[in-house]
Amino acid sequence: MSTLKVGLIGAGGISRVHADAWRALGAQGYVTSLAGAAEIADAYGFTLVEDVDTLLGLVDIVDIVTPSSTHADFALRAIARGLDVICEKPLAATAEAAAAVARAAEEAGVRLFPAHVVRYMGEYAAIKAHVEAGRIGTLAVQRFSRTGSAPQTPWFFSESTGGGVIRDLMIHDIDQAVWFAGPVATVYAVQNPPTIDDRVPAPVTSHVVLTHRNGVISHIHGSWGAPGMPFRTSVEVAGSEGRLRYDSAEDHTTRTDALLLEGGVTDYLPPMSPQESPYYAEIADFVASLREGRDARVSPADGIEAVAVAEAAYASIAVGAPVELTVPGRSVAEIQEAVR
Amino acid sequence: MTAHVPVRIAVLSFAHTHALSYVQALKQMPGVDLIAADWKPDAVVIAAENSRHRSLVERAAAAGVHVLCEKPLATTIEDAVAMHDACEQSGVILMVAYPVRFAPSVRDAIAELRSGRLGKILGVTGVNNGKLPQDRAWFTDPELAGGGALVDHVVHCADLLDELLGERAQSVRAVSNGILHSHRELEVETGGLVTIRYPSGVIATIDCSWSWPMSSATWGGLTLQIVAERGTLTVSPFAKGVSGHDAQGETWMPVGADLDALLLDEFVRAVREGRQSQPDAAVGIRTVEIVKAAQASAALHGEVVALR
Repeated sequence: MSTLKVGLIGAGGISRVHADAWRALGAQGYVTSLAGAAEIADAYGFTLVEDVDTLLGLVDIVDIVTPSSTHADFALRAIARGLDVICEKPLAATAEAAAAVARAAEEAGVRLFPAHVVRYMGEYAAIKAHVEAGRIGTLAVQRFSRTGSAPQTPWFFSESTGGGVIRDLMIHDIDQAVWFAGPVATVYAVQNPPTIDDRVPAPVTSHVVLTHRNGVISHIHGSWGAPGMPFRTSVEVAGSEGRLRYDSAEDHTTRTDALLLEGGVTDYLPPMSPQESPYYAEIADFVASLREGRDARVSPADGIEAVAVAEAAYASIAVGAPVELTVPGRSVAEIQEAVR
Repeated sequence: MTAHVPVRIAVLSFAHTHALSYVQALKQMPGVDLIAADWKPDAVVIAAENSRHRSLVERAAAAGVHVLCEKPLATTIEDAVAMHDACEQSGVILMVAYPVRFAPSVRDAIAELRSGRLGKILGVTGVNNGKLPQDRAWFTDPELAGGGALVDHVVHCADLLDELLGERAQSVRAVSNGILHSHRELEVETGGLVTIRYPSGVIATIDCSWSWPMSSATWGGLTLQIVAERGTLTVSPFAKGVSGHDAQGETWMPVGADLDALLLDEFVRAVREGRQSQPDAAVGIRTVEIVKAAQASAALHGEVVALR
């Protein structure tokens, strides 16, 4: 088997865990970015490439880890060159744009993998497996929470160009809610403080409540907190026969007690062994699904649905009322039936 | 040792399981005589079915007797307001039995937030999940209980939000379903999510679902996760205890203060001192308002209901 050549577009916060996974998989890496690419190339043994077009001519698959507003454009450019694409979430800023990327990939006969990494986190995957196995009966109520320090890069705070706490952070749990309980019929969302003139405030907190087509109800809480706030997630899924829960605050697998250095880093992200790194599991699944010609754990349709729900959440905030989700191909009668 | 002014208290109705806990707590209190209702008590504890609270409160008020009423105060706003008015006119205390705000961990959490250390409150997630209440059949009777999980488990979090935020809700939006315990063919909802907006901008959601399976080692629990500008605070007053396993499976031994005893202690003090105690009827009315708005919203498929 020839060595897989991967092109990493982007060198920001998330690029390191992707690069680490590619290195662990033995791929030959290339990287290009407006900033920071040299550091990634240096740290992970990647080849530094001048620009995106040059990169696209060198690789078999591209991995897009750029700011969200650029995802769809880079994906379309790679697809046009006949390359398979891994794209960080959100797949695009709007469901329409996400669907256009998926259509282009299908027409070009290439694969598209939206990187919803939480599907590869052991605890969430275990909940999915137990739900599928009927261990807790029929699903009824789900709850998700995700909190941490607000990001530092400005683009995260512009909703019109793909940022915002729902589209960037809570989309992880939107995807989980849909993965566990199926398609969404109605979305209601609130946020405090509100976004004014397209500027998302920080700190900020938001609640999104989903009614799934099968009647399951889901609550998703996300907050971007003050600098230095620890990152925490929790999930609880209740069904007719039982409930399953995970709270990272109660995860005692590893505990570090240490003196903090004056002015030291408080949001240290530890390196992860590939055996338990969800980023490694994610990229390994994508690569294996390519080689074996099978579906991956995340499909392009999943990426579109997550963006559609996030978009509906912003629409709900704008009108101060619940919003029905319209997914291409679903009739109004079908949606009304689902809400009933 | 100070002598306690004797207080004669009667418990009216044992429909609610808390009645037994109240009796236990009252028996321990010095200077409290537990008596039958027709022996002219100074105060009564009402633990009847939710929809029967009003007639008992009105009778007590007419007799000039102070009242501690089980939550929720009533099943309609009209009843709650009538009870408030009756007690105000007679000059008797009407306190609502919301024990959770007496939990030391909750008191400490509220004090920490009030100190301003964490900045302004932005949002709250309240979780009051538990087993299906089944030792009293009326809990799932829409007439007697006034509803299902949206009644039973919204009010405790609503009371804590009332105390924490000190403002009346602006709008309520709720969704519910009956998937949990569906084989029992109950007439009431068993799962629900209630989202509340406050004039200050604070957003809150309460998960009131009866989502703990009957095999759980304990009745359930309550958690408030409060997100503020400079931090978050999570308080779970029933999470203090010792967990383990015995031959039947998981075990749970709760540890900590007896909240019903703390609630009654405040009520008896107020009776002795002749002052109104918190949570009062106004809190009772505001929390019933949230329940009624949540029920209306759920019935309208999740339409947002503004509080008038």
